[in-house]
Amino acid sequence: MINIKEFAYTPGEHEAEKAANSYIMSVVALVGGLPLPIINLIATLAFYAGNRKGTYYVRWHCTQALLSQFSLLLMNSCGFWWTIAILFGPETITNKYIAYIFTIIIYNLIEFVATIYTAMKTGKGKHVEWWLYGNLTNLICKP
Amino acid sequence: MDSQKVDMFIMTNGKFFESHQVAQIRDRLISIDDSKWSVLQTLQFKDPTVSIIVSLLGGSLGIDRFIIGDTGMGIGKLLTCGGLGIWTIIDWFLIMGATREKNYEKLQRVL
Repeated sequence: MINIKEFAYTPGEHEAEKAANSYIMSVVALVGGLPLPIINLIATLAFYAGNRKGTYYVRWHCTQALLSQFSLLLMNSCGFWWTIAILFGPETITNKYIAYIFTIIIYNLIEFVATIYTAMKTGKGKHVEWWLYGNLTNLICKP
Repeated sequence: MDSQKVDMFIMTNGKFFESHQVAQIRDRLISIDDSKWSVLQTLQFKDPTVSIIVSLLGGSLGIDRFIIGDTGMGIGKLLTCGGLGIWTIIDWFLIMGATREKNYEKLQRVL
């Protein structure tokens, strides 16, 4: 799922730090913006915009962080509005709801651990590519 | 310029720039003539560590952006209460790089 690959060049110390910051920032924004699921996407998007003139390594990892947050947004938004409907609307708690919430909690935990792991590795200058997201990033982000 | 002077400059001011820019700055300094040396010595760079501390303490008022010279962004941050807190969080992670970029731009203007 997570592969450490060779990058086109060896990134400098500050480049690696910036790239790792993109992942750490997404986690901090996710926790800081709870329970609203959109906050982390806005934060990662703004971070990407701030680094769009950065070096290739920094841009690559900002894009991967952005893509990973995007899928998280879709899943969490559904869960969030379903919960709102139960709290303030006519909906009741069903087995399907419990199963869905359980799934998104597991998904968020996996994403959280993967993000922290990637931030640690990226900070050391290693190039970490995620399954699917890495390939998508390669298509979007060009040197 | 004399390579000894350039190395002295890099040793003193290297921490104010991005690590990947240092080699570029060194080459550029060696290629220019000695008349710029006195101007270079008077340059004052912003410390990235100071800006991160200011960002942590006064980030929601945009003080960090004012300090590095981004007045427009500072006002934007001030009026929106640090972009409802989101911008403040983003800037905790961006401000050190932004400070180094500003220092690099300042040096570029002199060279």
